Amino acid sequence: MSAEDLAFYHRVSQFLFQEARLLDEQRWADWNSLFTDDGVYWAPATPDQPDPLHHVSLMYEDRLLRDVRIARFKSPAAYSLQPFPRTSHLISNIMIDVRDGDMLEVSSRFQMTEYRRDKPSFYSGGYRHQLVEENDSFKIREKKAVLVNCDGAHESSSVYF
Amino acid sequence: MTTLIDNTQKPIDVEFLAQEDKVHRSLYTDPAVFALEMERVWERSWIYVGHESQVQEPGQYYATTIGRQPVIMTRHTDGEVYVLFNRCAHKGAQLVGDECGKVKELRCCYHGWRFHLDGSLLSIPLEQGYDGTDFSRGSKEADIQKVPRYGTYRGFVFASLSPDGPNLETWLSGVASSIDNMVDRAPDGELEITGGVLRYEHDCNWKFFIENLNDLMHPMVTHQSSSLTARSVAKRSLGDEPAPAAIEIISPFTESYSFFDEMGLHAFDYGHGYSGGKTSIHAKYSDVPEYNAAMEKAYGKEKVDEIFAVNRHNTVFYPSATIKGAIQTMRVVKPVAVDRTIIESWTFRLKGAPDELLRRSILYCNLINSSANLVGPDDQEAYRRQQIGLGSEGADWVLMHRDFGRDEDLGDGHVYAKGSSDLAFRNQYRAWKMYMSQGAA
Repeated sequence: MSAEDLAFYHRVSQFLFQEARLLDEQRWADWNSLFTDDGVYWAPATPDQPDPLHHVSLMYEDRLLRDVRIARFKSPAAYSLQPFPRTSHLISNIMIDVRDGDMLEVSSRFQMTEYRRDKPSFYSGGYRHQLVEENDSFKIREKKAVLVNCDGAHESSSVYF
Repeated sequence: MTTLIDNTQKPIDVEFLAQEDKVHRSLYTDPAVFALEMERVWERSWIYVGHESQVQEPGQYYATTIGRQPVIMTRHTDGEVYVLFNRCAHKGAQLVGDECGKVKELRCCYHGWRFHLDGSLLSIPLEQGYDGTDFSRGSKEADIQKVPRYGTYRGFVFASLSPDGPNLETWLSGVASSIDNMVDRAPDGELEITGGVLRYEHDCNWKFFIENLNDLMHPMVTHQSSSLTARSVAKRSLGDEPAPAAIEIISPFTESYSFFDEMGLHAFDYGHGYSGGKTSIHAKYSDVPEYNAAMEKAYGKEKVDEIFAVNRHNTVFYPSATIKGAIQTMRVVKPVAVDRTIIESWTFRLKGAPDELLRRSILYCNLINSSANLVGPDDQEAYRRQQIGLGSEGADWVLMHRDFGRDEDLGDGHVYAKGSSDLAFRNQYRAWKMYMSQGAA
């Protein structure tokens, strides 16, 4: 790997870490601004789900739905989010699978601990980020979070993996 | 001799615990009540097993449970659907370990006994070893046991683990029209389950969920954080532009008391019922002109107007299933323990309808029924708090008095009340009490 490639890999990794940090620090508006206008967040309900429109998903959200979810986070009537859960995202195994002009596909593995009312819950799986290179940084065209047990039964979880 | 600890089992006094207008907290918290419910309600009533489209072709199977017992729905080469206990005739191992698939035969993983998909014995390794013993091929015990009763209504397969009781048609009679309306909404007159399943684990008793489906006094309180938020975000982002389907789906959850009151409640024997009828929270979804045209072509305008004039909210097939005909989704109740329940969410494709209808049903499930959805966590939170709150000895009773004595008898076991009534709960407990009392000592 050339020094240039290494520097690029470092930038991509830093971007993913920064994205996870915004989630953990509950800076939702900043996190949402990482997406392109048509960017989507997708948590499928099967491991190799080809399609978010004809098959159910745990979450499939465009900007409008992310705005609704994030606004709900702050609603005093969101009883299931009181107290608000805290999360810790760890990301590893980052690989740039595709780089085509300003388009990138990056795969990684993640672990998220969600702590809510005396109870920690553990989620893990793979991310696939479709990124667009923009100025010195990136925008997310699609973030797909595939839990290892995405097709299993889950308790309520409202935050982003 | 006196003992400090009283270990004697207290009998479950069903008449006392489920009164006409209130029920005792132990119905939701006592593991002994849960165990008896499994035996007397879940293993007696008709329980939803699956939809025929899940076993479209001979050799296909779908494994599920009835109450606590593992069963398989199969399609045999004779074209018929069978519901079998998922248990080898030999030493009892589950025959099917995964959820669905297609096979030529059912072969046990332990000693290799093979069965046809109607449950009949195909072969046993070294079968001559049974010669001259009490075991014989052709006897009932050589086959996989069929569940005592099963039947299909317009593609929906139900089964009962009790050999006695009303037949499926009688049991369904009050609410069969809700299945009819969902099927009739398909231009080709058929449904197909598609798009996978969501399984949502609830840390509460199963009855909180099934009661809540026709609890029309909760949405405007519980769903403010999602519905009011969706309305205000959409207004801010879209201005006067028409709202997309997602907003049309979430917004009506905070309609007014008078809106839900007018939706009305309908109750029938065996605990069944539905809310809505002429209107519901699904009534104002945008028209899909291509779909309306396909429907009119299939049925003619008069009949289509009749089909669309029925707009129900939730229909409950007590105790195990609930459908939303107007948006073609189904939720199935799987009790796990006294304080643990899994809710499955399924989606139907209307055969002959444009793709947009299925996409809207899928969107509905994502937004309302997924474990990470925008609306349901606040319902789940209410059930969870009930589960905890009813653990207190502060008071013994869960109150269901609203509009008691003011129901309207429409004849043939059909009872009506305005939407804010507690009729749906009282009606479910009337059935619960009937099932729980049968066979009581």
